[in-house]
Amino acid sequence: MQEIAKVTLENELDLILAHKRTMKLAELACLSLSAQTTFATAVSEVSRSIIDGKHKGYITLSVETDANETYIVASLRDGRLHDANSLEGLSYAKRLVNKYQLVVNRNETVVQLYYFIAPPFRIDILKLDEWRNIFRNEPPISPYEELKRKNEQLQDLSEKIQKSEGQYRTLTNSLPLIIFSLDFNGKLLYANDWLLRFTGETLHTLNAGGWEKVVHPNDIQAFMHLLESKVPASSSAIQTQVRLRHKINDVYLWHQISLSAFVNEKNEPQYWIGYVVDIHAQKVYEETLKDNFELKETQARLQENQHEMENIIGELNRSNQELEQFAYIASHDLQEPVRKLLFYSDALQKKYSAAIDETGRGYFKNMRDSAMRMRTMILDLLSFSQVNKAQIQLSETDLNEVVAIALQDLDVLIKEHAAVVNTSTLPVIMGDSRMMRQLFENLICNAVKFHQPGVMPDISISCAVKNDKYEIAVADNGIGFDEKYLEQMFHLFQRLHSRDQYEGTGLGLAICRKIVELHKGTIWASSTEGVGSVFYITIPVGTKNAVDELI
Amino acid sequence: MMIDDDEEDQWIIREALKAFDIGDIATYVSNGKDALSRLDSDYSKEQHLPRLIVLDLNMPLMNGTATLGKLKADQRFRNIPVVIYSTSINPFEKDKCMQLGAQIYITKPISIEESMRTVEIFLSFCR
Repeated sequence: MQEIAKVTLENELDLILAHKRTMKLAELACLSLSAQTTFATAVSEVSRSIIDGKHKGYITLSVETDANETYIVASLRDGRLHDANSLEGLSYAKRLVNKYQLVVNRNETVVQLYYFIAPPFRIDILKLDEWRNIFRNEPPISPYEELKRKNEQLQDLSEKIQKSEGQYRTLTNSLPLIIFSLDFNGKLLYANDWLLRFTGETLHTLNAGGWEKVVHPNDIQAFMHLLESKVPASSSAIQTQVRLRHKINDVYLWHQISLSAFVNEKNEPQYWIGYVVDIHAQKVYEETLKDNFELKETQARLQENQHEMENIIGELNRSNQELEQFAYIASHDLQEPVRKLLFYSDALQKKYSAAIDETGRGYFKNMRDSAMRMRTMILDLLSFSQVNKAQIQLSETDLNEVVAIALQDLDVLIKEHAAVVNTSTLPVIMGDSRMMRQLFENLICNAVKFHQPGVMPDISISCAVKNDKYEIAVADNGIGFDEKYLEQMFHLFQRLHSRDQYEGTGLGLAICRKIVELHKGTIWASSTEGVGSVFYITIPVGTKNAVDELI
Repeated sequence: MMIDDDEEDQWIIREALKAFDIGDIATYVSNGKDALSRLDSDYSKEQHLPRLIVLDLNMPLMNGTATLGKLKADQRFRNIPVVIYSTSINPFEKDKCMQLGAQIYITKPISIEESMRTVEIFLSFCR
């Protein structure tokens, strides 16, 4: 069945139009005028019954061709249910046409009236198209028809739009992103299903202030600012990134929001349209890249620092070695002329003492004393330069023996000052016996040297074990010192007293500190002026291996 | 034989020797290289070898420890006693010389008295 034209059946005017159209179709089908009138009358009879009902009736005019025969057909529909008796016009109309059909569906009744077209006349597809065009472009016979046609077109269009919108809605709802429109007060006008599926919130709950449940607390302020359209609507799209809570997994995921103002034909913004898309993976990827980059940079910096440090350490070691070597060579070569000075001044004094007077001999003595002091200083400097890592020779060292030898070395000095030295039992340590001997000699020598005038030096050496360390104390009843000089005392060439008062080069305690530190120990002192001093040394208790590892 | 590049030190010993009334019995060379060639020639001419070698450490061309090493490695000279006579007080240098076979290590004197004592020690090795 090929549809040619359609007329709604709602009022008297429609009846006239249906009649006219039917006449026209019959005319196009080359029926005689009487045949045209007969068919049109049959259609009008049925139409009248349908119009009365006012139930969205309409008539469709068509052509039907089966194997041998061709008919023009008028199909009349009524939204009510009829039978042959209740359709008043049918009983007359069925007698005017070649055949007819009455179909009663669930919610409509269809009457089809067939009028036979004689064989010589053939209808093909081209002809059908031509006929459809004729009906479409036929000038309206009345303003009513004009209006009606417009209405029909509008109806048609609206149906199409509805269908298309339905398709779009289905499409947008199936997308894994939120599509929405928004008025300028921040109220959602429309959102697709993804909004509910992702956030668990509907358009209405969000409009009622539900955003705080969805947007990350750190992002909400910026988001509300955007939402409340404090950002002016412009033609270009606005984009921002926020974290939105996923209702099922209860995690915040990064999303990109894109907003564009929708404008009318006068270019006036009407509302926002936009979308929200999950960019979490991208964000995580970017952050990982950034972290990675930072990590690499830090690593590079670290390596650079380490390299620099190694350089500095190398430089330090080298300069330390050079310094030690310098001290040794300088003191060795300095010693030579001083020795000669001493020798010749001695020779002069011995052989020519008769030739010079008392004052001259006094000068000689002063000269010789100065030269002797210089020699002592050089020798001390030499021994200081020799107390270093390269020279240390570790062995089991009995400090009782070491102290005994030191006392022997200092025998003259001790006897000279009638000093008393008490020694309690000392430990056997892993150490360099030569250095240890020098350490104790220096400390005992100081204790004797700095005695109070008229008081016999009383010195005691004792040992305690504290925190896996031997703490050896050398106590005296000497002049003592102000403890504020404590740190300074252990530095090179530091003297607390003038040379006239007490002899010394200012190297003794510096050598002591270097020896103790080479043994991974510490040295310090406590003192009360006029009462005495105690020098403390700590040295780790340990096996040879442990000390070797330490050093 | 005294091996020392310092002429003044040579003079000091020479002067001290005078006091012992035995005349200038020593020969003097100023480095190890000269000493070895002198000993070599003395040996080949079948002349007397020195009874004692007094050896300084700091010398040009061939220093004391190198000279000592050569002397002690040579069959012909290894039995001549060697006294190290130096300004150095470096205990490591001292240890090394003793290991190499030196008789004794004496630091150079700072007075006439000391120089006399030093020569006395030297002579004690010559007997």
